[in-house]
Amino acid sequence: MSVVRRESRWAWFFLAPWLIGLALFTIGPTIAGLVLSFTDYDLVNPPRAVGVANYADLLADPKVGTALWNTAVFTVLHVPLQIVLALAIAVLLHRMAVARGFFRTVLYLPVMTPPVAMAAMFLLLLNGQTGAINELLSWFGVDGPQWTTDPGWIKPGLVLMSLWTVGSTVVIYLAALSGVAPELYEAARLDGAGRWGQFWHVTLPQISPTVYFTVLVNTIASLQTFTEAYSMFFGAGAQSGTDGDAALFYVIYLFQQAFGALRMGYASALAWLLFLIILVVTAFQVRASRRLVHYEGSPR
Amino acid sequence: MRRRPFTVLALLVLAALFLFPFLWLVSASLKPRERVFDNSLWPDPFTPANFSEVWQAVPLPLWLLNSLLVGLAAALAVTLSSALVAFGFAYFRFRSRNLLFGLVLGTMMLPAAVTMVPVYLEWDWLGLGNTQVPLWAQNLFGSAFFVFLLRQFFLSQSREVFEAARVDGASFPRLFTSIALPLVRPGLIVVFVFELKNSWTELMKPLIYLRDPDLFTVPRGLKAVLDRFGQGGEAQWELVLAASTIATVPMIVVFLLAQRYFLSGLTTQRR
Amino acid sequence: MSSLRTAIAALTCTALLACAGCGGVGAALTPETAGLTTMGFGLPDEHATARVAAYRAAHPETPVRIVEGAFDAQQFLSSVAAGRPPDLVYADRTTLGGFIARGALQPLDDCVRRHRVDLGQFRSAALGQLTYQGRLYGLPEFNLVRVLLVGEDTVRAAGVAPERVSTTDWGALAELTDRLSEVDGNRLRRIGFDPKVPEFLPLWAKANGADLVSPDGRTPRLDDPRVVEAVAFTTDLVRRQGGWPVFKALRDSFDTHGARNEFATGQEAARPMENWYINTLANNSPKAAVSVRPFTDRQGNPISYASGSAWGIPVGVRDPAKACEFAVTMTAADTWFAAAKARKEALARKGRPYSGTYTANRVADGRIFAELYSAASVPLIDAGVRVVLDLQDKAFALPVVPAGLEFTQAYEGAAHRVLTGAQDPAGAMRQAQREAELAIERARR
Repeated sequence: MSVVRRESRWAWFFLAPWLIGLALFTIGPTIAGLVLSFTDYDLVNPPRAVGVANYADLLADPKVGTALWNTAVFTVLHVPLQIVLALAIAVLLHRMAVARGFFRTVLYLPVMTPPVAMAAMFLLLLNGQTGAINELLSWFGVDGPQWTTDPGWIKPGLVLMSLWTVGSTVVIYLAALSGVAPELYEAARLDGAGRWGQFWHVTLPQISPTVYFTVLVNTIASLQTFTEAYSMFFGAGAQSGTDGDAALFYVIYLFQQAFGALRMGYASALAWLLFLIILVVTAFQVRASRRLVHYEGSPR
Repeated sequence: MRRRPFTVLALLVLAALFLFPFLWLVSASLKPRERVFDNSLWPDPFTPANFSEVWQAVPLPLWLLNSLLVGLAAALAVTLSSALVAFGFAYFRFRSRNLLFGLVLGTMMLPAAVTMVPVYLEWDWLGLGNTQVPLWAQNLFGSAFFVFLLRQFFLSQSREVFEAARVDGASFPRLFTSIALPLVRPGLIVVFVFELKNSWTELMKPLIYLRDPDLFTVPRGLKAVLDRFGQGGEAQWELVLAASTIATVPMIVVFLLAQRYFLSGLTTQRR
Repeated sequence: MSSLRTAIAALTCTALLACAGCGGVGAALTPETAGLTTMGFGLPDEHATARVAAYRAAHPETPVRIVEGAFDAQQFLSSVAAGRPPDLVYADRTTLGGFIARGALQPLDDCVRRHRVDLGQFRSAALGQLTYQGRLYGLPEFNLVRVLLVGEDTVRAAGVAPERVSTTDWGALAELTDRLSEVDGNRLRRIGFDPKVPEFLPLWAKANGADLVSPDGRTPRLDDPRVVEAVAFTTDLVRRQGGWPVFKALRDSFDTHGARNEFATGQEAARPMENWYINTLANNSPKAAVSVRPFTDRQGNPISYASGSAWGIPVGVRDPAKACEFAVTMTAADTWFAAAKARKEALARKGRPYSGTYTANRVADGRIFAELYSAASVPLIDAGVRVVLDLQDKAFALPVVPAGLEFTQAYEGAAHRVLTGAQDPAGAMRQAQREAELAIERARR
């Protein structure tokens, strides 16, 4: 028995927890979900095979369209705003020599707040009649919208709220910025680049892999957004299951179908559709990144 | 350098905007019901009774304890198991290593929603569908992101240390527990505090699994408070905000104590 | 099978448990002893505690475990699926109706016969909510009706005589709403009349002579032109008061359950409401001049719709006879009377007036209001009792609808889409009709 062979047997010992988990909680359930999506199962009666009926229902279900639209709108608004705002703040902070730690702490605190607590706060802060946010806007002569009740403004309100936790992205960018070699700025300055020029030609290309990574992760997270909107507009406290139509995100609908209506088969079909959508979106972003992301040592 | 005043001003405005909700929350939680909506940061009349009232209305101490136990179990489980797996990937050289590690990264991209229903059915079948076990037991099998993170930590150690220990006749388990783990202690703390925070703020799993109010974690309990005293409930917002304050403070304290670890965990250079 | 499952669970537990203990496995609703376990029932006051005590006194050999907390459909159905249901389940009658078609509850006809329960003592609308295909699946508990609340001072201040506030003449009601509400730019200062849609749509449809579903609960009638008209009218009332976003934002800021509620502050002039709110007002703002009136249909007849809770017995419980005995005891006239008496005494100790107990048991209510209730110190409660008692038997209820939850969501969602301007009334109700038909068909296949 060679050393290498014995070593690799130990390797399997170390990997065992992950391999078991992979079978039990990742690959197994993913396949089980696919099988389940062709059945009708309500926990009480045994599952019945119904062929593609769930997928047919899904295409005919107007709520699916609503949920997809809501999710797409939220993602398209939230991701770019989050990235641009985080970049701007990170660049500002990076230029600060003193008190950087203090600002970083302040910006990161919201990330530590339980989302349900955040939802409770923002329900009141965003209230169109009495909320502090509209009061602030009125100082500037802006008549603020009804963020929590106007279907046209509910999603922008949720996006606004989501920007409060921009700190999680800011600290990632800060680390990336401190990794940029100073001599690159030196060279750019010699070429006569101003602040903007330096940002466009040095900073952005240098940290583009990090930006790309955060775009990817944020998009996947946004497509599965659940907690804040659910806390604010759904659950036992919602006056009727309808108030949150404008906030009915895909995973909320999935959750309602699975654990409210107990349509496990239908919910599995919904889950698989989401899986496909996320795969397509991710693949698209990976392709786009090949043209836009600059890696050290690769020709531009 | 000329533009410095602008930077400072912009950051101060931002800091004020970001801090305002916290200040507003604490002050509103100390106001009587009819003043909650007045948006002043000075609670007048000062009403700390809100806290004792909500403390009596719902089993907050129990929920805090549940969250603490579940959080510790989840954090401990995920730290140990992810370290095991990460060491396996970092130290050993075997044929399918890169393929398997690619799979680890791949599972990071798998939407949690896809496995939500079947995993619930698994626990339900085991008779654990209405317990706290599903909230932490999955962590015994490692978590892709933490495996990735800890692998970086292990890789940044010099291999000679491990080799030397092997030459001295240390078994692999011994090598792992007495040499490798102490070396990456900062990394372990990062994983621990992160999972503690994840577990403390998680709502979806408790919504799916916990039915008995005595088992609720803080976020699940807070959602129940919001449903009962807030939106569509009894409109006792001062109680909702008092409970929200109680739920928020522990994590803020943990963060202020372990700030270094939170920030270094996020900023590990990804290759 | 189940022992194998327990063994696996036990093994998993022992294997996994490095820490935290087998957190609350015991909290699964498994009746450990030969007693009764209930789910969804709470013990907030003497109405509950005194009745449970009455059962315990009559059956000391049977331990009763009341698992408190709001009723949870998922918990209930997964316990039925696992073959370990609670012996009794307590929930809103509409919710229970949804489980009947699923086959999760057992019929109680034999049990009722064995205990010689006179079903005639229960209000027929309540029984109708628990009867499916000719069999009875539950015993009704409390009974709520809807009344019209009018803030007299607020109405007078707007220059309107309070007795003119009525739901009989829809055209007049629209004009009245304009006069009573106070809109200021894009802010609403006072709600003149809140029609309480989507929730009260069944009531408005009935006022217009239409039912939302056929009497057997199988054919939705959501696209009936009279229903569409009711949707159009009520949503227009909201539109006249600044539109839904503004309207709801103001409503969300009310201190509805407190001393500074919308009737006390004059932020709302009138609305239809469940009758329990009369007590809330009497306790929190006894000085506010609020009058209680029946809601009327377009011919001027008093109408109301009823809702409330009930007991059901899940399929697969170990001792259905014992569970049935419990439900029968809890809903019997004598038990109710004793509980109402205990409630009255407890309130007296706190120096508060007793405001009556409204149940689905006609005999119980008759005795309670004849022997226990006395004209209270608060005129509002008195006025309320007179109106509510009169409505108790007039109130209608929707029959058992398979997929009841989806049915409710279909019409409420449609009304909501009209409120927010996303759809016109006819189109929204057409869509609701389609959704309801699909859901009922799915539930029955």
